[in-house]
Amino acid sequence: MEIVVCVKQVPDVDDIKWTKENNLDRSQMLSKINPHDEWALDWALNIKSKFKDVNVNVISMGPSQAKDTLNYCLAKGATRAILLSDKAFGGSDTIVTSKILARAIKKYIPDFDYVITGLFAQDGDTAQVPVSLAQLLDVIDVIGVNEIHNADKNCAIVSQKLADVINIFEISTPCLLAVREKCNNSYIARIEDYVRAQNTPIEEYNITDLGFEKNEVGVLGSPTTVYKAFRPQINKNTQEIKDDLARVVLDFIVKAK
Amino acid sequence: MNKIIVYCDVNFEQKSLENVSYEIISKAYDLIKDINENLSDDMKYVIEAVALCDEISPQYIKKAFQAGAGRFVLIKDKSLENFSQCVFSKCFCEYFNQNPSPIILFGATQIGRIVAPRITTILNTGLVADCTGLDIAYEEGKIKLLATRPTFGSELMATILSKTNPQCATIRPKTFIAKFDKDIAGQLFEFHPTSYEETRIKFLRRILDNSSDAVDFSNAKIVLSGGFGLNDGKDKKYFLRLEQLANLVGAKVGASRKVVDFGLMPQSAQIGQTGSTTTADVYVAFGISGAIQHICGMKNCKTIIAINTDENAEIFKYADYKIVEDAKALIDDMLATFI
Repeated sequence: MEIVVCVKQVPDVDDIKWTKENNLDRSQMLSKINPHDEWALDWALNIKSKFKDVNVNVISMGPSQAKDTLNYCLAKGATRAILLSDKAFGGSDTIVTSKILARAIKKYIPDFDYVITGLFAQDGDTAQVPVSLAQLLDVIDVIGVNEIHNADKNCAIVSQKLADVINIFEISTPCLLAVREKCNNSYIARIEDYVRAQNTPIEEYNITDLGFEKNEVGVLGSPTTVYKAFRPQINKNTQEIKDDLARVVLDFIVKAK
Repeated sequence: MNKIIVYCDVNFEQKSLENVSYEIISKAYDLIKDINENLSDDMKYVIEAVALCDEISPQYIKKAFQAGAGRFVLIKDKSLENFSQCVFSKCFCEYFNQNPSPIILFGATQIGRIVAPRITTILNTGLVADCTGLDIAYEEGKIKLLATRPTFGSELMATILSKTNPQCATIRPKTFIAKFDKDIAGQLFEFHPTSYEETRIKFLRRILDNSSDAVDFSNAKIVLSGGFGLNDGKDKKYFLRLEQLANLVGAKVGASRKVVDFGLMPQSAQIGQTGSTTTADVYVAFGISGAIQHICGMKNCKTIIAINTDENAEIFKYADYKIVEDAKALIDDMLATFI
């Protein structure tokens, strides 16, 4: 059984640094595996633990630093790691990112049974890539999976958590599952795992390997473009309350009732 | 005739439309009103509401006209009785390819988020997710969608343009207000798509999920919210006191993301981009620093009172009333008035 897990290296949003010009200072920020993607990997490894002959292929698009994230995945138990890296890929929006991932999966893991992804990335928070990827791979998907109950070569039973209901589906392979919750069997990699991971080289592919033209990917190929980015400005005439605080606040509350 | 399509979110049990659809129709109507004034009649834009279902009750179609839709298209087929992302996106695209428009707007609901990227991928165009601001510009005979969304853990706002048509965006519910004040003699059309059958996935059953115990902020008049400033490093004492205070004054209790991440308050209480949105009359922020992620969920409250020991806290920029004080002490003082 072939499982593909898509992972993204993201800056730690709890550690945001700004430049004087109010831009993000990425050089000062730490990177880590997108938390939802780690859950996706844990679910895949959970399936691997139940059957013989399961390969867990992790795939990531990003700069060469993303190898850290892929090594982390190998240490946790992934069997193969693929990095899609090219300067031309920089600035790809969601549909172009999905096209790059889809082409790589079709070329390097053509017999996949499952693609498992996190629901969204912490830095972009669009939740579009899993859906778009499923469409481009021409497979059925379940978006927002909170539990994979059973997954074999032919089909899986999964729950999808929505606002106030849980839907349970039987889904045939090949398919894509975008997970939104942790897997209880999460394996924490030890030092010897990192040592073992060093024996698995990370495969690297670029724009030529995937057969894209420069104007099909990155900023050039992306249909959406950031027109301006800003930190929200507000002009409130804020008044300071200095005395009799408890009573003044309670007065506001009582008036609103 | 030119048009802007609003993909309507359907409540399949009630055969009705979700409120977010009316919110988007109302906003789109307001945005094209000024553009239409300078256009000849045959070039004017109308809002076209498109819904996929086996039927929609007439009163909900009428509401779409009152919100600002000039056309209502019901894509109708037995296979559209229940939601399925592949079938719905195929049927919509079949209609769209015969009746294109330069802009499609979707509600950023659970279904909207699942179906919109499928549709835009089929149409090979861009999609801006989860917008909290919308504008439409008209330049040299071309209509342009300017969609603004919070990004990067909501610390930054980005206005995004699409280079390709259709220009598409999903819009967060409650971003705009639905106004049913138009007197439009709207037209209803039916479209019968090719019937598809989805055999790759089988729906087994549905369980009502009570585990989330969601707090309903939609009608809350008063919200008292707790931030990390209420954490005393030992226990949840001040969060419990905040709840006690809320019970006494008849308020709902909210929380910041950090407090939820630390397990001090349940996720259901979280206010902000990844939590709930409130437009309460009075919002009191106890010990909340004011990350944009949080601000997104409460900035439209009528009166905002913020309490924080740091006089430079971000939250004060958004507050009508500022109190530089330990929020824990203020909660104790407020509770003391009830003894």
